[in-house]
Formats: sequence, structure tokens, C-alpha cells
Amino acid sequence: MKTASMTRRLFLLSTGAAATGLIVGCSTAAAKGRGYSAIAGAFEPNSFIQITPDNQIIFYLPSSEMGQGILDGLTTLIAEELRVQPSAIDVRQASLHEDYKNPEMGMQATGGSNATRAQFLPLRQAAADTAAAIRNAAAKQLNQPLDKLSLADGHVNVDGKSYAFGEFVAVAALMPVPENSPLRSPKQFDQIGRERPRLDALAKSTGTAVFGIDAEVENLFRAVVVRSPVLGAALQSFDATAALKQSGVVDVVKIKSGVAVVAQSYWQARKAAAALELTWEKTELGSWSSDSIYKKFTETLNDSSQKGLECCDEGEGDKLLDQAETMVAADYYAPYLAHATMEPLNCTVAIKGDSCEIYLGTQSVQASAGAAVYYGDFDADKVKMHPAFLGGGFGRRSLGDDVAEAVVIAKQTGRNIQVVWSREDDMSNDFYRPAALVRMRAGVSKQGLIETWAVRRVGPNIMGHMIDEWFEVLAPDYLNKGFADWLSKLGHPIFKRFIADPSNGDGIYGDYDTPNKAVRHVTQDPGLRTGFWRSVGHSSNAFFKESFIDELAQSVGIDELQFRLANMKNNPRLTEATELVAAKAGWGKALPKGHFHGLATHSSFGSAVAQIAEVSIQGSKIIVHKVTAAIHCGMVVNPGIVRDQVEGGIIYGLTAALYGEITLLDGVIQQTNFHNYPMLRMADAPEVEVHIVESQEHPEGVGEPGLPPLAPAVANAVFKASGQRLRDLPLRLS
Amino acid sequence: MINFKLNNNPVQVDIDPDTPLLWVVRDHFKLKGSKFGCGMGLCGACTMHVNGEAVRTCTLPVSAVQGAAITSIEGLGTPDNLHPLQQAWVEHSVPQCGYCQSGQLMSASALLAQNPNPSDVDIEMAMNGNICRCGTYSKIKSAIKSVTKSGEAMRTQGSLVEIFDPVIGNKEANS
Repeated sequence: MKTASMTRRLFLLSTGAAATGLIVGCSTAAAKGRGYSAIAGAFEPNSFIQITPDNQIIFYLPSSEMGQGILDGLTTLIAEELRVQPSAIDVRQASLHEDYKNPEMGMQATGGSNATRAQFLPLRQAAADTAAAIRNAAAKQLNQPLDKLSLADGHVNVDGKSYAFGEFVAVAALMPVPENSPLRSPKQFDQIGRERPRLDALAKSTGTAVFGIDAEVENLFRAVVVRSPVLGAALQSFDATAALKQSGVVDVVKIKSGVAVVAQSYWQARKAAAALELTWEKTELGSWSSDSIYKKFTETLNDSSQKGLECCDEGEGDKLLDQAETMVAADYYAPYLAHATMEPLNCTVAIKGDSCEIYLGTQSVQASAGAAVYYGDFDADKVKMHPAFLGGGFGRRSLGDDVAEAVVIAKQTGRNIQVVWSREDDMSNDFYRPAALVRMRAGVSKQGLIETWAVRRVGPNIMGHMIDEWFEVLAPDYLNKGFADWLSKLGHPIFKRFIADPSNGDGIYGDYDTPNKAVRHVTQDPGLRTGFWRSVGHSSNAFFKESFIDELAQSVGIDELQFRLANMKNNPRLTEATELVAAKAGWGKALPKGHFHGLATHSSFGSAVAQIAEVSIQGSKIIVHKVTAAIHCGMVVNPGIVRDQVEGGIIYGLTAALYGEITLLDGVIQQTNFHNYPMLRMADAPEVEVHIVESQEHPEGVGEPGLPPLAPAVANAVFKASGQRLRDLPLRLS
Repeated sequence: MINFKLNNNPVQVDIDPDTPLLWVVRDHFKLKGSKFGCGMGLCGACTMHVNGEAVRTCTLPVSAVQGAAITSIEGLGTPDNLHPLQQAWVEHSVPQCGYCQSGQLMSASALLAQNPNPSDVDIEMAMNGNICRCGTYSKIKSAIKSVTKSGEAMRTQGSLVEIFDPVIGNKEANS
């Protein structure tokens, strides 16, 4: 299965990064010793755990907490094997160190819904070895045989007496740390799988959780950057005379992305920024509008001489399509989308001599530090990261563009700087979910089996833009900067001409048993930068695939649930999720008058999710009353968080399905804030019911898989309710 | 010089009078719990109480609060002394990323102060100005309902009691 994590991994492999030591680029210096600062007298068996003599147990969280609950999940794994209560652990966000690399990605980053899957065993092992070390030390110190000692609740128990772990850390520190200590079996689990309030709920309910934007350092100035209205256009000239006269303004500096106004306060900088006079170079993107982009996509879709790149070719491909008993074809479209995290981008930089400290919420501590090295000219070992909570990530906070601006402004002005993006800045300077126009074709037998599945996709890819951003910030120190910049541009032609961007094929062909498949993608890119958006390629591909599956079922007159089950015999996880959701939602049973069910099923990030949306139509308004979901994600660490993530994916997906659309006029993004890029609000939020398939298999992703099936489930219900087959997102009744 | 009460403490500030209250509280008084989300009063992340009313402070000039009583999330409750809604937020595991939750809590607490027994529709109307991108709406609603008069009565008596609510009737009061 091709997942987004593979996409990101592929980036490293395809650029030869893994082989050239690129990953180590920014962390060689930091790699000496542990990932954290030593505490006198503490037992420090690895980069994840410290235990102090006064029994403070500290866990350094290697993944970024952006709402997905990974702080809770990974702390639970540590607690399980260390034999302490999760709430007794002091959790701190890990800074940059190679020990904190995500084992699947090979870089210190959080994304692709893989943080639990990738760290389920390594983190438990680190904790189990730590527990074994404490037990060994206790046996020695108390002069007791090992088998008489047991661990529970942060204590060693022997002969009816109980000793805190901290009593043994001095001895443990002098003994070898055991390796490969046995892990607890699922039958022994008393933390994993248990439902309890999430650990970060208290801080986040009292305003005490620290996000990047909350950073405060001495003598901090605020900066506002005015960027080109057409993304990526270079500055031709600017006049800062009026801006410099405004109250509180101390500097106006030109940087790569535009012009920065630096003032005592954010408000002063924001007001003065409006007084800047700027002229920008013309770029190719400036000649594109949404209408002309759609027209170009359509021309390309119809131009069979443009073959594009192969995402999948199995069996006879599309050769047998003409011989099918029933052949169905339909074109679908999904627009560009912005992430719109609740916390607009921001970055705080404090410079002391030749070193700098960076405070921000980031999905990649490594890329962020790399941006300081590359753009700020700091030595890698002089960059100190202070990762904070993220006010939403969804893929947006995985690049270094926020850091790149802040470090350059700080360097140029010699001041400590916080750059705060306005909502407008954030929305018009995103890395957007790429638009796509897709022609779906399928051959179906009379019995309702899909024999041929053919997809021709047109749109931008993501990898070219990602490499353009990532290459420099992850490049090793020895690479000349100009050369790194030149290399970073190569992603665009590579993924247009030679390698299909995996995200284009993600989830568009894998779920059903079809023997013959042909999926091709033609890159057609007006130049608007694109990026990873919650569930990446699945976010649009599931809509195309699952809407079209309903069209196939209806073309042969078979119930949509039965049609799917008959065509997913080789997909047991998805089958279980589908059968569970059908039973829970009462598929086929009577609904209130005017209410209709729509079904969609989709696998992504290792998990399988099925959803049934209950929808009615009032005038031209689509009302989503309820969404019932079932997820098969293997073993569950905290069922409450799994349900929350699926519900979160549904709400995020419903915002996109009903409202989401970024449009361009002469290259300028037309959406600026929540009045013209609306979000689902409480009154329109459906009731959501999430069911989890019981499983003892290895855990899989939950942060993203809840999103993809939502749009097609709603669209399929809308068709039942209105007779209108909506093939363009967002869903709008005519 | 602008004078007002911030979380029951008299404060004064000498600042550009059009500076939005949000930035004064965050960057001048260093209370960081209230958040910046949109700058247009569209998302509710910046919500505070101004004389007991839930107000979007990202568009409220500080000059407009001369003499007013302001409560920010820091004044609602603390980790050691939680407001009942904050307690409910923790018990229901409401927050995901958490960024919008200060604003959500300020809107919810203003609602309950004025209407201790709101219907579902009352809750939706009071909370519709607060966006949550993570999708915690259903939990916010459950948490609020657990500390309404009827929810509180059910909790303290430890059993389901029939409470007739003239607006929503028995069914909702027990759900």
C-alpha cells in the first residue's frame, strides 16, 4: 500500500538523501549523547526517559502534538511498560536529536498518521528496558532475588514493602541497561486500550498549554510580512517611508518572501504594513485564474496524446473496457484547498551571538531547524529548538517557510523577532491541497463484479513543491547553497516526466478486487504551490472512487452495500468495517421522511473506515444529520482518542465537502478569511457515532483515515435524496 | 492611559488606543490563554468576558473597555481551582489541538451565567461564533450540558431524574 508516509520516504530515497547522509545534516552535532539535558543524579537510560532521585519520571515526546493525541498515546505506551500511571509522567516535547527520528520516515517529523504504528514497539522497548534496569538495581540494592520483586505504579514491591523507583536510580545508573527485555502481552495491558481523559486536556482547558504563538523572550519585537498577492512573485521595488513613520515601527527589511515591518507590538507592525507601497514582478501564475485552470485541465484530460505517468497497471489495464457488459464513465473534480489551522503560522527567534533559539509548533523539528541553518546561516549545532503545542497541523506545519522568514528578519535587524501571520497571510500563502480533474471508467459484469478499473487524472502534483521546500532545509552542510537551491527545483520535472507522485494514486485503485486496472496521472500545474493536506491524495481520490462505485452499483441495479462487499473479498479489514457500520447505522432500514443514507468505504494509512451519512435536502441546502463510522485500525491505545480522531476527520472533511474551495483570479487567491472560506460550525455539525472493530493486530493510523470517506458518503446520500449526482467538490445542488 | 479591571485586578495601560484588547492582554499583560485566530471576529478564539458578555476581543479597541471588567480564560479558573465547565472539559476530553478552547470556554461560561439551563438550540446559538477546526463540537455540547442545571442535578443525584424543561422537554434533559 502506498501511503503518505511512503510519499515522504520516497522523497528521501528519490533524491538520494538516505545514501548521502542528508538526514544527519542538521543533527550530527546534536547527536552526541542524549537528546535532552542531563539532570544531576538522574537515571538516563535512553533519549526518551529520565528518572530522578525524587521519583520524577520524565518522558521526551518524539512526535509533535497537534491535536491528534499522540502525547497521550505515546505516554501511555511508556506508562504501560514502565509500570506507572500515565498521569504520573512529566511529558516534554523532544528537541532536535537523531534518536527522535520517526523510524518509518527516517526524519524527525510527524505526519502520515504513522506515529503510533512506527513507535509502538520501539518506545515500549525503551520503557521495558528502563523498568528492567530499575528492577535489577532494586534487587542489588535490597539484596533480594529478582523474582521476588514486582513493579507497579512507579514503585518496586517486595516482601510487603514498597519503594519508589527514584530510590534505585543511583545504583541503576552504574549498571548496564538491559536490552530486549520482554514486553507485556496484550492480556497484561492495564494502560493500553483503556479509556480515560486525555493527558493534555487540563492544560488545554485552562489556557495554560503553550503554543508557538505564546512564546515570550526578552526584548521581543513583532514582525509582519507583506508578501506578493500572486504567490512566489519577486519584489520589484518598495517604499517604506510612510510605514517607517508609524508609531512603534523600528525596522523595515526586505526578505525573500516580501517585506517585513518590525515594531514594538503586533498591532503597530500590522498597521504600518498597510502603509507599505510595493510593486511585484509578473509571474506565470499571475496569468492563471480558476476558470482557465479548469479549462486547461479539461483540454488535457481530453488530449489522449498526453499519456502522463503510470500510477498503477495491473492485468490487462484498460484494454478490455470496450468488451465489458456494462461500461460506465464519469468525470469528477476536486478543487484546491487551504489548511486553515486555527493557529495562524508564526515563529519566534531569539539570537545570541552566533546561536539562535527557535520557538514554534512544528510537524518537523528537523526541517524547522534546517531552515534556520540554511536561511539564517547558523551552524547546525548553534540552533536550539523549543517545540511547542501546535494549534492544528493537518500537514501545513511540516515545512520551514515560517522559520525561514523569522530567522532572516532577526539576523538582518539584530533583534529577537516574533513573526505572526494574519489569517489572511495564512490563507493566501498556504501549500494547497492540489486540484484534480479525473475521468473514471469501469467495466462491470452482469453479476456486479468490477472487471476493469481505469482512471485518468489531471492536476498538479505535490512532490515537486515539497522538494523545492525541503531539499535546502534538509540538505547536508557540505552542499553549496546555490547548488542545493538548484537541485531543489529538479523535483518539478522529475515528478512531471519520470516518477508518478504517489499521492496522485493514493487510494484510487486499491480497495476492490478488480483484476484489470490502469491509473495514470498527467501533471498540469499552473504553479500554485501544493502540499500535504490531511489524508493527502486520499482526500480527493476517495471522493472520486467511492462516488463512482455507487454509480457502478446503480448501473447494474445492485444495492450499494452488497456491491461493495462482493467486490472487496480480498480486503478483510474494510469488509469488517463495512459490515459493522451497516449494522450500526441500519443500512436499508426505514429512515425519517426525506432522510437518505449514503455509504462510502476507504482504506488509508493502514486503517479501513466505512461511513454512512444520513442526509436530507432543504431547498438547495444539504443537511447532514448524522454520520455513523466504523474503523478498523488494529490495536487501540486510547479508544476515546480514536473516536475523536475519526469524528475530527469527519468534521474537517465535511467543511471541505460542503464549503471548501480555493479559487484564483489572475493568480491571486480569492479567499482571505472565514467569511469567504467558511468552516463548519456547531449548529451545522452532524451527530457522529464512531465504532471500533475489535482487533489485536498492530496499530495503524487514525489521524487521517476518518476524512476520506466523508465526502462520497454525503454525495451518495445526496444522490438518493435529490437524484443529482454531484461530481464536483464542494457539493452544490443546482 | 486606559484603566480597566482584568480578572478582578485594576490595571492601566498606555498604548495606542485602537490596539485590540486581545493583543493588550496577550502581549502587554502576558496572559497568553486567549488566542488570535482571524482578526475579524469570525472564529471566537479571542473571546473574553466584557462586563459578563462574551466579546470577540481581536476587533475590540482597548479604548472601548475603559472602566470595564474583563475576564480572560486565566480569570475563569486555574488548574487548581477549575470552573465547573473546565472540569467538564477535562472529564469529557474535549480539546484536541486546544487552540480554540479558551474561546469556547469563555462563550460557554457567558451563556451559562445568563441561562443556567440552555436548550440545545440555545447552546448552538451561543457557540456558533466559535470555530473548532479539530471537530470537537459534539463534545463541547455534551460538556456544557453536563453542567447545566439539569445535567448537574442528574450528576449530583447519581441517577436519572425526570426534569421537565419547558423548552426541550423530558427527552433531551435525560439524554
